[in-house]
Amino acid sequence: MERYDIAIIGSGPSGLSAAINAKVRNKNIIIFGNSNLSRSLVLAPKVNNYLGFYGISGTELRDKFQKHIDDMNININTEKVNNIYAMGEYFAIMTANKTYEAKKVILALGIEHTKPIEGEDKLLGRGVGYCATCDAPLYRNKIVTILGYNKEAESEANYVSEMANKVYYIPMYKDEYELNDKVEIVKDKPLEIVGSGKVEKLVLKNTEISTDGVFILKDSAPPQQLVPGLEMEDGHIKVNRKMETNIEGCYAAGDCTGKPYQYMKAVGEGQVAALNAVEELSSILK
Amino acid sequence: MVKEINDVSFESEVGTQDKPVVVDFWAPWCGPCKMLGPVIDEISNELDEKVKFVKVNVDENPLAANKFKIASIPTVMIFKNGNPVDTLVGFRPKQSMVSEIEKHI
Repeated sequence: MERYDIAIIGSGPSGLSAAINAKVRNKNIIIFGNSNLSRSLVLAPKVNNYLGFYGISGTELRDKFQKHIDDMNININTEKVNNIYAMGEYFAIMTANKTYEAKKVILALGIEHTKPIEGEDKLLGRGVGYCATCDAPLYRNKIVTILGYNKEAESEANYVSEMANKVYYIPMYKDEYELNDKVEIVKDKPLEIVGSGKVEKLVLKNTEISTDGVFILKDSAPPQQLVPGLEMEDGHIKVNRKMETNIEGCYAAGDCTGKPYQYMKAVGEGQVAALNAVEELSSILK
Repeated sequence: MVKEINDVSFESEVGTQDKPVVVDFWAPWCGPCKMLGPVIDEISNELDEKVKFVKVNVDENPLAANKFKIASIPTVMIFKNGNPVDTLVGFRPKQSMVSEIEKHI
């Protein structure tokens, strides 16, 4: 398998800045993200604090970023990264269907604005999980509840329903739901996951569901779930001046490292992370 | 060496030991388990004298998995004198796994 020099997770300003800086130094990189680059960038009506671009709109800035990476032949891989494992010498990066390997990783994840629900952290691994397909066989003949934040969660619910006795699906978005007959849709607001030692029930605004497992399926899992062993501080990834995390060879940049949530801070951090990763790579060769 | 044990041998392999026993609950369909396997192998070579390492396939051994309420795998449990003293859920890098195990030596 090809082992990349640097894998960048995220295609917002910090991830792109890391990508162009690593590419300039001739590193073999892979960048994971979405074709839109960054959702929050597209949503910004006016940006007045990005030096050199007074009064630019978010979409215009996005287009400039896109042209920049196109000119440098950087292509975004749109597969969703589920997990990154620090194997010591390298990192194993798992998507739904494939595994990638990289010597260094730069996390440019942005920030998830939806808060965890009550009981989520306490019961994590004790019935609460972030990847239904990973743990589904453990719920044979049991009751599973899925909090779905996106369309992909529906197919996970269908898959789980083949094994579990009962599957409840709580949609956190409005759409048509493509679910099979075995999945029961519950349109209600989840408030708390309750259980002593392990998950027992989910409390919603208008009802309660007895359940053995609750899976919370968002666009991205919390950073410490994505990268097991990653150290956090006040809800952000802990980094030093070189943008190094507690895991050797793993860097972080942008909103995921903390406030202020700004484009210039993000691109600066992405650059610092990339340059340090490049330097580390060349010191390995010496 | 990480010895494969089962529902029948669990008690004798884990219950009556002088040194701490690390039990890796895993299954062949579980991606993170496959990543953790080699990490545990490595650690077992280093801590062989002080700690015993075993693994349990939860697909084939539902009794042990149920008894210890395994709700997510990989789960690594540490036993002392037959009693569970620590439960580590999910993959973690070697360094952090070693420091968790060393707390119980």
